[in-house]
Amino acid sequence: MNSTPTLLNRVLIALLGLVLIAVGALLMLLAAVPAVASWWHSWSPGVWNQVNQAFNATRFPGRGESWLWIVVALALLVLIGLMVAWVAQQGKGRANLLAFEYDPGEVPGDVRIGGGVAEQALKHALANRPDLAGATVTTYDVKGSPALKVRLLPRQGVAPHLLADEVYALVAALEQVVGKRIPVLIHIGAGARTRFSRAERVR
Amino acid sequence: MSRQMESQGPDMGRILHRETHSSRAVVATTAAVLVIALAAYGLLEAAVHAFGQPAWLIEPQVAAERLVALPAGISPLLLGAIGAVLAMFGLVFFLNGVLPGRRARHLVRGGGDAAGPAVVVDDEVIASSLARRARLAANVTPEQVTVVVSQRQVVVNVRPTSGVPVDHDAVLNAVQSELGGMALDPTPEVQVNVAPSGVIGA
Repeated sequence: MNSTPTLLNRVLIALLGLVLIAVGALLMLLAAVPAVASWWHSWSPGVWNQVNQAFNATRFPGRGESWLWIVVALALLVLIGLMVAWVAQQGKGRANLLAFEYDPGEVPGDVRIGGGVAEQALKHALANRPDLAGATVTTYDVKGSPALKVRLLPRQGVAPHLLADEVYALVAALEQVVGKRIPVLIHIGAGARTRFSRAERVR
Repeated sequence: MSRQMESQGPDMGRILHRETHSSRAVVATTAAVLVIALAAYGLLEAAVHAFGQPAWLIEPQVAAERLVALPAGISPLLLGAIGAVLAMFGLVFFLNGVLPGRRARHLVRGGGDAAGPAVVVDDEVIASSLARRARLAANVTPEQVTVVVSQRQVVVNVRPTSGVPVDHDAVLNAVQSELGGMALDPTPEVQVNVAPSGVIGA
């Protein structure tokens, strides 16, 4: 429901995996197969010489160091920045507003309803249920439109479809108050709190 | 699934797909941290070299020459082990990226009304609910019933109390009626196993 870039994650992870597999396989073959070792000896010194020449050709005038090192450092800095940006994309997508619309009434201005309204109201309504070990409500921004995610942690043995229907009745009441249809996702999950709690006997 | 979703908005099908499949956020963060660590080390050595200081761990030139000379200078066993470990981590990352990454969750279509909510349920919750129904139908204690829910199959194992027979069909009907109420997507098949030996003193 959040805007984690799942496709980008898959592509980058698979890419990294392929690189690691290639390096690992090369090392294993070098250790085990003499033919690969002789190929490596015929191929790698040439590459190394070219790289060496590039570094020698780019020395600072009057000093022994190559400015290529600074280029390498900058490239690595950019790579680190990209990686940090990638991590920052994970789990994003929380929203603050549940509804925002121009009010055509007599008073000029917009109407904005914060996501906290729904979150607090639903949380409060669900707080004292004996069949729930916990409930969280969050507002997400799904492609520009707000949506609610209700995460319920029922105790053991609770029928999920009945629970979902009851919670949706609450959401329908909330929709009447807000005056707008809100896309709602109800996620009924299990966690450590439900696993080690006693079964609900009353229902 | 899609019928119900269209009435709610254009993106509910996408949301449900994202909820029932792993986002790989943890693996992605691990991979990013790994790359950051390697790049930070490379950055350190490159910067140190650019300013003409002695290297921190190893001169890049020395490292490259060792790499070029590779099968020599290190025991083949160690080299092969390093390669195997790297390839194994690579395989983990690669499979994480390529496999569908389906989570142990089902969609609940909920009562059949088209405007209903989008509901995603963990398989564990389904299992505990079915176990409760099966336990009531078989009249045994909770410890005597185990339920395993997978994508397309529900396996209910019942160990009867010694001397009290368990009605196989009654358990099957109870579990199936509960599953019918849930209307799961994908719909799993039910299999009930009643153990031939009973539990004493339950």
